Amino acid sequence: MKFKQLGIFSKASVIWLCLVIFMVVFGQWIPLPQPTNFDIDAMGVGLFDSLKHPLGTDSNGYDLLSNVILGARPSMLISLISVGIGGLIGSTLGIISAYKRGKLDYVVNTLFNIVLSVPALVLGLALVAVLATNPDPNIEVPTSRRVVVIILSLTIVIIPVLGRIARGATLSWSNREFVVAARSMGMKDSQIIMKHIVPNVLPAIYAVAFLAIGVVIVVEGSLSLLGVGIVDGVSWGSMIARVRGDLEYAPHSMIVPVVVLALTVIACNQLGDVLRSQLDSREGRL
Amino acid sequence: MAGSGKVHMRNTGNTVLSVEDLVVEFALSKKIAVQAVSGISFDLIQGETLSIVGESGCGKSTLGKAILSLLPVTSGSVMFAGSDMTKIDKEAVRNLRPQMQMIFQDPISSLDPRYTVRQLVSEPLEIWSRGSAEEQSVKVDELLNSVGIDPAIAGDRKAYEFSGGQCQRISIARSLALEPKLLICDEPVSALDVSIQAQILNLLQDMKERYGLTMVFISHDLSVVKAVSTRILVMYLGKVCEIATPDSLYDSPKHHYTYALVSSVPIPDPSKKVSRVILEGEPPSPVDPPSGCRFRTRCPAATELCATEEPQLRDMGGGNYVACHHPRD
Repeated sequence: MKFKQLGIFSKASVIWLCLVIFMVVFGQWIPLPQPTNFDIDAMGVGLFDSLKHPLGTDSNGYDLLSNVILGARPSMLISLISVGIGGLIGSTLGIISAYKRGKLDYVVNTLFNIVLSVPALVLGLALVAVLATNPDPNIEVPTSRRVVVIILSLTIVIIPVLGRIARGATLSWSNREFVVAARSMGMKDSQIIMKHIVPNVLPAIYAVAFLAIGVVIVVEGSLSLLGVGIVDGVSWGSMIARVRGDLEYAPHSMIVPVVVLALTVIACNQLGDVLRSQLDSREGRL
Repeated sequence: MAGSGKVHMRNTGNTVLSVEDLVVEFALSKKIAVQAVSGISFDLIQGETLSIVGESGCGKSTLGKAILSLLPVTSGSVMFAGSDMTKIDKEAVRNLRPQMQMIFQDPISSLDPRYTVRQLVSEPLEIWSRGSAEEQSVKVDELLNSVGIDPAIAGDRKAYEFSGGQCQRISIARSLALEPKLLICDEPVSALDVSIQAQILNLLQDMKERYGLTMVFISHDLSVVKAVSTRILVMYLGKVCEIATPDSLYDSPKHHYTYALVSSVPIPDPSKKVSRVILEGEPPSPVDPPSGCRFRTRCPAATELCATEEPQLRDMGGGNYVACHHPRD
């Protein structure tokens, strides 16, 4: 599918995601004020009120634009890494168990269901509480360790989501006659999975992975809001968390990160949908 | 008709495939199992075409897949190329696969939509590393030409761009790439238009002569198998009813089920009056098949004996074997 053929919403989504990717890659070289620079002269500057702070500042005087741009990297990296690793593990498990069937499939599917039954936020809270807290409250837990624990818990959440998609798609594709034909030609199972199952299952996984990125960004933000995310760092989630008490007198400091987050999630959903409809039309031709 | 027995087996020196007492069960739950194929025996001599006919759900396709060890066999034996396919290990079965190939019912679904025609046809050659890349490419062109697909035009297109008949030609080319001895055709024409059916049947006949194939031809359509078969095996609920040469089967079917099937074949001549035998009822559930002869619940000639004793195949002369207590004259 070419860019020109996309609808206006999809085009906007592509453009927005390109902008986000630009922020992720080049954000740190853009000359911006320090994102956590306590600017006592400019607290709660409104939207577009000042040239120095185009998107305004929050009640701490933190520049919102630099927070948005520099926060893109942790937010996007956390979700991309956890969807990437979780998707890889989940699809591998899903594809192999669905192809082999039998006991392995039963065990894997049960595990998926168990993990799915735990709400993502509860799992995140529990893991952070166990793995990223210090018995001595006076010693700060390093942010890097928190990030790792957050990625870990989001990965665990993603594994069954994408795993079940991979499993379902594999179940339907492995019943196709070309898979039986490949076996009857003497192809080994590993070759069949790599040549005939994976290429056909991948589009379904991509489509859902795009949707999952959006969900994970929100969950990461929610964890921050609950105080277990990267609270003191720079991320979209932590921006929201930091200003949650200021909604009354500096509403824009909440609106800016929420809009950025929402646009990114909507763009991911939109592209996920485009991918999925592409997949459906090719199915329709069969 | 529940025929068991092996009187129809011939012990000649050039048997390609010999199936004895083949049983294939599928577990429905821990306690209940369905016998899709229950005790089928037949043999196949070099160059023959055995057609297996029967209504939907009688176990024809299961039988075809079980012969190729694509399904687990519950009991019985499948002798091919000197080894019992049901006893040897997976790798040994895999090594026999190039000698036995299968053509499937749905031509479009039997080709992976992600690959080009050339890639699909060369796939078996790649699996078994037959020849260099150039040799494989020459072979693929030759195969495609022989099934009436122009490799220059079609070779680099994907399979879903073709019609059902063309796809079936491509899968025939693919199945012949390894020059198998035995070709199992599982309803190869039932998904195609009638006009295309004849083309594909002719193509299969040509290929059979050209490559010296021995074929198993599975179909639910008696008018299709008439032209291609050396022998016809009629199945009902996983059992053999009758085995006969096409002429004797069409002219004087001995089994009441065969008779009903033959009388159902449409005759494309409106001036001819046909007397049809309409079978009553539905085929019984294979989960709980009738005692004795499995056809007795729908058979016009059924007696007490049919309920208590399973008929064995017996020689009716003229190459006709029937499993019935009260065969037709």
